[in-house]
Amino acid sequence: MKEVMDATFVEEVMNSEQPVLVDFWAPWCGPCKMVTPVMEELDQQYDGKIKVVKVNVDENPEISEALRITSIPTIVLFKEGQPKDAVVGFRPKNDFEKMIDKHL
Amino acid sequence: MSDRYDLIVIGSGPAGISAAINGVIRNKKVKVFGSRNLSEKVQKAPRVDNYLGFHGITGNELKDVFSQHLEKMQVEITEEKVDAVYALGKYFAITTKDNSYEATSVIVASGVSNKKSLEGENEYLGKGVGYCATCDAPIYKNKKVAIVGYDVHAEEEANFMLDVASEVVYIPLYGQPEKIKDGVNVVLGRPLRIEGNEKAERLVLHNDHIDADGIFILKDSVELDQLVPGVQIEDNHFVVNRKMETNIEGLYAAGDCTGKPYQYLKAAGEGQVAALNAVSFIDNMQ
Ligand SMILES: Cc1cc2nc3c(=O)[nH]c(=O)nc-3n(C[C@H](O)[C@H](O)[C@H](O)COP(=O)(O)OP(=O)(O)OC[C@H]3O[C@@H](n4cnc5c(N)ncnc54)[C@H](O)[C@@H]3O)c2cc1C
Repeated sequence: MKEVMDATFVEEVMNSEQPVLVDFWAPWCGPCKMVTPVMEELDQQYDGKIKVVKVNVDENPEISEALRITSIPTIVLFKEGQPKDAVVGFRPKNDFEKMIDKHL
Repeated sequence: MSDRYDLIVIGSGPAGISAAINGVIRNKKVKVFGSRNLSEKVQKAPRVDNYLGFHGITGNELKDVFSQHLEKMQVEITEEKVDAVYALGKYFAITTKDNSYEATSVIVASGVSNKKSLEGENEYLGKGVGYCATCDAPIYKNKKVAIVGYDVHAEEEANFMLDVASEVVYIPLYGQPEKIKDGVNVVLGRPLRIEGNEKAERLVLHNDHIDADGIFILKDSVELDQLVPGVQIEDNHFVVNRKMETNIEGLYAAGDCTGKPYQYLKAAGEGQVAALNAVSFIDNMQ
């Protein structure tokens, strides 16, 4: 899964041709660790249809602040440069599948 | 990674132990989380007349009978509080403060807590209100945070937050704090509600209010949808069908946490139904 930074967010997420699922996380957050394998599975499963990336909020405060992320993990689905859907906290995989399928 | 259990049971009241016993009878590798005293709600009952086979028994006597039964079946109880159950698709990860466990199937039999949420708590959840201060600390770098602590364990999180935030206000709901660091601003008071606009902005106490960028509510008991993220809840109870299945495959619930009536025999019966269906689920997975 690709890591996106404050500096590359616009290019990688806002200007992406495909919808992008962005996982906001930090290294010491337990639930974030649980979300990571789910994101990796989704990344493979939707290969070619959506992009899945992660943002470390600890190192990238600007983008987290701009998007008003107040809890992690937060997973946001971007389409055509806009946040379309967001989930705060861990969810089972099929909850994310439903969210993605709605926007494909 | 840890050894995987067939079945993990969360809760050691009548529902949980009935589930565990039935899982063990079917030769499953079972682990039960709870307390050695089983359940306060069993222990403290003055007199029980409606448990089939026992007339006029005290709760404490009933607890002893349950404990002997567990002993005979060599079921041990692990005294750790479960923080969360994560449905990872092919198995579940169960986390406690210090450990993490894996199981093919999970039965939640955690009873009900009657602590109500604060007004505004649910509305602003994820919008400035959170339940895990250590998780969200990086977001509150150089900001002001208020932490409501329902028990002493919350102090650790408040101390941790002090390293990051510009100001930490701690509101203990259990009396004087014991190990809070200098620098944390302790305020005694009873929280009433959380106010804000798009985001939470203020914690209102009965005699005061605290403006904060982030508000954390650290409870001793975990809300059901925090315990199992993604599970379907209605009126503070798990939604289950006749097989005690929740909306998450492989996850069952039994006892008071599925709804009324709140009774021992109903809890024990549901625990059994949940266990037998979990056993079929486990057998199908193998
Ligand atoms: C004073 C009193 C008298 C009662 N008298 C009667 C009576 O006469 N007859 C009758 O039928 N019913 C009676 N009841 C109701 C009865 O107590 C409940 O219906 C019954 O205990 C429910 O069982 P349970 O297994 O669902 O949950 P509980 O008995 O509440 O057990 C839940 C257990 O799970 C543990 N737990 C919860 N969360 C976690 C976690 N995250 N990690 C680890 N462990 C956890 C708790 O510590 C607890 O030990 C009485 C209740 C009270 C309070």
